Amino acid sequence: MGKIRHENAGGLQISMEDIIFYFELHQPFRLRPLRMQDKIQPEDVFWEEKNMELFRRISENTYIPATRTFMESGIHSTFSLSGTFIEQALKYSPKTIDVIEDYVKSGLCELMGETYFHSLSSIWDEDEFALQVNDQMKLIRDTFNYIPESFRNTELIYNNRIAEIARNMGFKSIITEGTDDIIKYHNPDYRYLTPSGINLYLRNYPMSDNISFRFSNDRWPGYPLTADKFIKWVAESPGEIMNLFMDYETFGEHQKKESGIFEFVKYLPGYMREYGLKTMNIRDISKYHRPMGNISIEKTISWADTARDLSAWLGNSMQKDAFNRLKSCKNTDKTKIWRYLQTSDLIYYMSMGNPEDFSVHEYFNPYRSPYLAFIYYMFALDILCNK
Amino acid sequence: MIGWELPPAFSGGLGIHTYNVFSIVGKIIPVDIYLPDMGYSFPQYPFNVRTVKIKSGIAGSVYSHVTNFIEAVNDYNDRVVENFRPEGVALIHCHDWITFRAGIEIKKRYRIPLVVTFHSTEFDRSAYFNPQESIMKVEAEGASEADAVITVSNLTRDIVAHNYHINPDKITTVYNGVKASAYTSGIKFRRERQVLYFGRITSQKGPKFFMEMGKKALEYENNIRFIMAGTGDMLDEMKAYAYNHGIQDKFYFPGFVDFQKAIEYYKKSSVFVIPSVSEPFGITVLESMVSGTPVVMSRTTGVGEALNNALKVDFWDTDVMSSYVVSVLNHRSLMETLSLYGKYEGMSFTWEKSAMKTLEVYRSVWKI
Repeated sequence: MGKIRHENAGGLQISMEDIIFYFELHQPFRLRPLRMQDKIQPEDVFWEEKNMELFRRISENTYIPATRTFMESGIHSTFSLSGTFIEQALKYSPKTIDVIEDYVKSGLCELMGETYFHSLSSIWDEDEFALQVNDQMKLIRDTFNYIPESFRNTELIYNNRIAEIARNMGFKSIITEGTDDIIKYHNPDYRYLTPSGINLYLRNYPMSDNISFRFSNDRWPGYPLTADKFIKWVAESPGEIMNLFMDYETFGEHQKKESGIFEFVKYLPGYMREYGLKTMNIRDISKYHRPMGNISIEKTISWADTARDLSAWLGNSMQKDAFNRLKSCKNTDKTKIWRYLQTSDLIYYMSMGNPEDFSVHEYFNPYRSPYLAFIYYMFALDILCNK
Repeated sequence: MIGWELPPAFSGGLGIHTYNVFSIVGKIIPVDIYLPDMGYSFPQYPFNVRTVKIKSGIAGSVYSHVTNFIEAVNDYNDRVVENFRPEGVALIHCHDWITFRAGIEIKKRYRIPLVVTFHSTEFDRSAYFNPQESIMKVEAEGASEADAVITVSNLTRDIVAHNYHINPDKITTVYNGVKASAYTSGIKFRRERQVLYFGRITSQKGPKFFMEMGKKALEYENNIRFIMAGTGDMLDEMKAYAYNHGIQDKFYFPGFVDFQKAIEYYKKSSVFVIPSVSEPFGITVLESMVSGTPVVMSRTTGVGEALNNALKVDFWDTDVMSSYVVSVLNHRSLMETLSLYGKYEGMSFTWEKSAMKTLEVYRSVWKI
């Protein structure tokens, strides 16, 4: 089957060539339900049993089988592993580390830089941010003998300044969301540059969500999503690269094994060959694709919720209250515990969300209540910072 | 419709429900409501009130002097059957066990479909402590003879289905409503560090757990006032509890409070606590929410199953209960978020919805 060609603004023939898979692999240290009466040490505020149970379950459903499937299918992808993810994997599921290591060694898997604690530090303390990025880089080096060149910030939180800091730390590429405002003027299916001069890649959210949200939705007109249908859509998209960025739990946890998600992955390479497409890691894109221009993003964006801003974390007064209290706790002598409490998920659980995001929030909230998330978090800070 | 109480004569949960739901239903289909004659005269309602004189179990003609409740109930049911006129009646609707016998008898005599509502069960009223056999028998019979059963929550639906062996498919939950405007309008009050209990002071409502919660909260925060509003057989015991624990100056027992005063208590308090051991619905929860007052409620309070913006706790777990109460008092952001979202959520429970859902149940059994 021949390639599908489009013309770009300059009249040049262009065609879709590469699929860029990027996956987020992150797990927080969730807080246990705390009471005012609990007389415990700061290190005991974490919900050990729950964290272990969830991590082991997701390892069985996703981390181990999905990684094997991608590797056996010869698919390139780029992983972002938070420090709290690696810690839990080493503790609860060492096999997860082994399969990821195999995938990295095969040369198919690229590892990215991010903050160790999957935190919001980028929006309030640049020194803290840099420290957490260095911590994660060190852990990646120690665990996988790998030095990341590409960067992604927590939940794709992004602005020009964050890109500039990443550049100053030596990163060559950064990724973020292709929000509606941005893609109005910039097709996300190309390579771009940040004002500070590093590569910028935008998530193609409709195509990413076709897999991560809609794959098993039988009321969606695209259902059932087969590999040949999806690859045809990719091939028909005007642009050169297709940025499919999503949570790794898409494969086996959010979209269950029974939905056929792994078969979907296995069939991708065959259809990609038919349409002349291949997969590529983020670090390699700049070798094969020219930048389509500069994009300046002043206002902070993210991939979260429908608003694609910081409102998933700082949208209501409880979240602001909790975040301020966390910041004021900076001079505690238990800095590691304080940093675990910076993990953005803990504040995300307090989000009231919009009605349209409600089911997403409820799905991820271990307490099923933003109020309880707030109450437990404040008790944890009471214990850490001696109220 | 066979009822028992109706404002202005009595205004318990059953009376409030009867008035609000049938004021709406009565505008859509003609409704006769049978009630015991209490010597009250009723204003003009959108339904016909048919009063029935009771002769046994009461002193003189005044209903409030009930000398033998069971006898009065039996007599009332007999009188309703005696006075019942079947012409044009398409459906009988009975409310609670005190009216079930009459409904069953009428159904048998005239082959009119029967709907029964459980506003509570004997298990709730006894707080599972010595429920009366004879009453449970009437409840079981009413539920099994009825063509359709209405409960005020899924919690109550499960109690009825499980204890009386009723097919759950025959039971529909119809939630109560709240007239929000009565609480959202009127004078504004400044909220104080005040925690409110409002209800009968009897074991079903768990007042002891409120006292225990208060004592625990005071171990961490001294500046809190607790109001236990209402009357009941355990009032003196609760006062003694406060005195014996040296916290009597932190607790206030105003006794019976009228509607206006109740609104003032809701609006002045920062938390409303309902520690009921077994509460089929809990209209006070909605009253508190529409007043903007955050709610800490027992999981065994029925309306909780339909609420996101209230804090739920096991009625006996006063550590957690006190943790929630102190959190709301100490964090304005938590108080305000619960207040705002709770208010909107509370306002979504309207009597119009209850009436429409009731009509749906009627339609399902109507023989046309």
